[in-house]
Amino acid sequence: MNTLGSRVTVVVVLVLAFSFTVIPVADAYIDPGSGSFIIQMAIGAALGLSLSIKLFWRRLVSLFSGRKQDQEEENPPADR
Amino acid sequence: MVSSEGDVAGSFRDPSGFVFRRDGVLYRQVNAVHADDYDHLMTSGLYDDLTRSGSLVAHEEASVEAEAPSKAHKVLRPEVVDFVSYPYEWCFGQLKDAALVTLDIQRRALGAGMSLRDASAYNIQFHRGRPLLIDTLSFEKLQPGRPWIAYRQFCQHFLAPLALMSYTDVRAGDLARIYLDGVPLDLAARLLPARARLRVPLLLHLFLHARGEKRYAGRSEEAGSDGRGGFTLQAFKGLIESLSGGIEKLTAHEQRSTWVGYYGEAAHYGPDSMSAKKELVSSLIADADPALVWDLGANTGDFSRLASDRGIKTIAFEVDRACVEENYRRVKASEEKNLLPLVLDLTNPSPAIGWDNRERMTVHQRGPADLVMALALVHHLAIANNVPLPRIAELLSSLGRRLIIEFVPKTDEMVQRLLATREDIFADYTRAVFEKDFERHFEIERVEEIAGSERVLYLMRAR
Repeated sequence: MNTLGSRVTVVVVLVLAFSFTVIPVADAYIDPGSGSFIIQMAIGAALGLSLSIKLFWRRLVSLFSGRKQDQEEENPPADR
Repeated sequence: MVSSEGDVAGSFRDPSGFVFRRDGVLYRQVNAVHADDYDHLMTSGLYDDLTRSGSLVAHEEASVEAEAPSKAHKVLRPEVVDFVSYPYEWCFGQLKDAALVTLDIQRRALGAGMSLRDASAYNIQFHRGRPLLIDTLSFEKLQPGRPWIAYRQFCQHFLAPLALMSYTDVRAGDLARIYLDGVPLDLAARLLPARARLRVPLLLHLFLHARGEKRYAGRSEEAGSDGRGGFTLQAFKGLIESLSGGIEKLTAHEQRSTWVGYYGEAAHYGPDSMSAKKELVSSLIADADPALVWDLGANTGDFSRLASDRGIKTIAFEVDRACVEENYRRVKASEEKNLLPLVLDLTNPSPAIGWDNRERMTVHQRGPADLVMALALVHHLAIANNVPLPRIAELLSSLGRRLIIEFVPKTDEMVQRLLATREDIFADYTRAVFEKDFERHFEIERVEEIAGSERVLYLMRAR
């Protein structure tokens, strides 16, 4: 997927994610910071979804191009 | 000097266990509260996977009595790293590699149903040329739905300084010396230029993260009490991929350096006297026969390699970050295992920091070395920094048992350059006074004049 596309996805999903965030209790010996925790929930949701869309897109492309990309799906590229 | 008994300061915060020394041997106690997580690390195959790839320190379970038996589950005897270094002593490339190995470990931990519960840069050490996680107790079983506990710590210890060293100035690496738990994200956000926001990973994990921290600070009442936060594994993976992709693309901010290329372009040595000097230094190293060498003012490590190429563990200290960067690039390119380049300002060396000033050691406390090399250094300390020769001798005698030192006389072109813009108040800067001052702290074992120059090399033994 192109960079602009993935940026738009991230931003849209970020907005959605903020609206539905429930924060779990942090049972940790280092202080993860409650503000940091809330923001991570939202960012993670966006990035997780964007990763899923990316993988789905790739599967779709490979379906039409007839190429197998199983290996890449196992290890999504670090590009974002 | 590192004490040979008792708890090791710097590991006391973690309730899961701690590091201690007994009879000079380093052990790590695993407390019973962490038994489940430790056993999962060992049985899930994650330990084998990570130690095989050289990302996690190897250990054996020791059958010695625990240091605190009432709390103990196991006692481990980890492989020991040759020299403990800290993030503020690393160049950009070293910090970046330490960050990437941390993320790679986290990625593989997720695959084994585990997660890192801290992501401190101090848990990484450079061992045989590569970054290594030394805290075996950093792993916990993945708790479904919970975000990454160490996210903020990772961003403070790695992402923020790397972004600053990339977009603002590599000297931002020194901030780690002030901020023990990493660079505060709001500070990093203020110091970074606006264009850093164009990178999505920086926008999210740094700028948005910093704002979110402020905006939602103390809103723990919003936290659900059942631990099910809906943070999916896919979200976790997306987070790690994004951090790793963002860091992968950062490069060190270009800086003009006087010192990189110093030997290549330098007119102060003809090619003959340069090779004469190298031969002499080699022969002096052979005489000293050290196991550990500290090369002070190592530049890009040309002379350090005279030791490390013989299989001697060598630390190449240099104040100029660009030189350390170049040195580290060489270490990586030729997979050198015995050379560790580090940033150190000898006129203001790494202090003891943290709780009770005991969590992180001074350079002195990590010594002494078997052999200290101070080549083409003394005139910088004595003339550029106004440090009297007796003090230089005293310092060097406390850092190592033997010393290879080069005396650069006033007539030397490089000293003349230092004196060009200032009054010559250094009447005592002569070879005779130098020898007299150093003989108070050292016994001079060999004196060698470098052919084709007026410089002199000495091998000395600390008294």
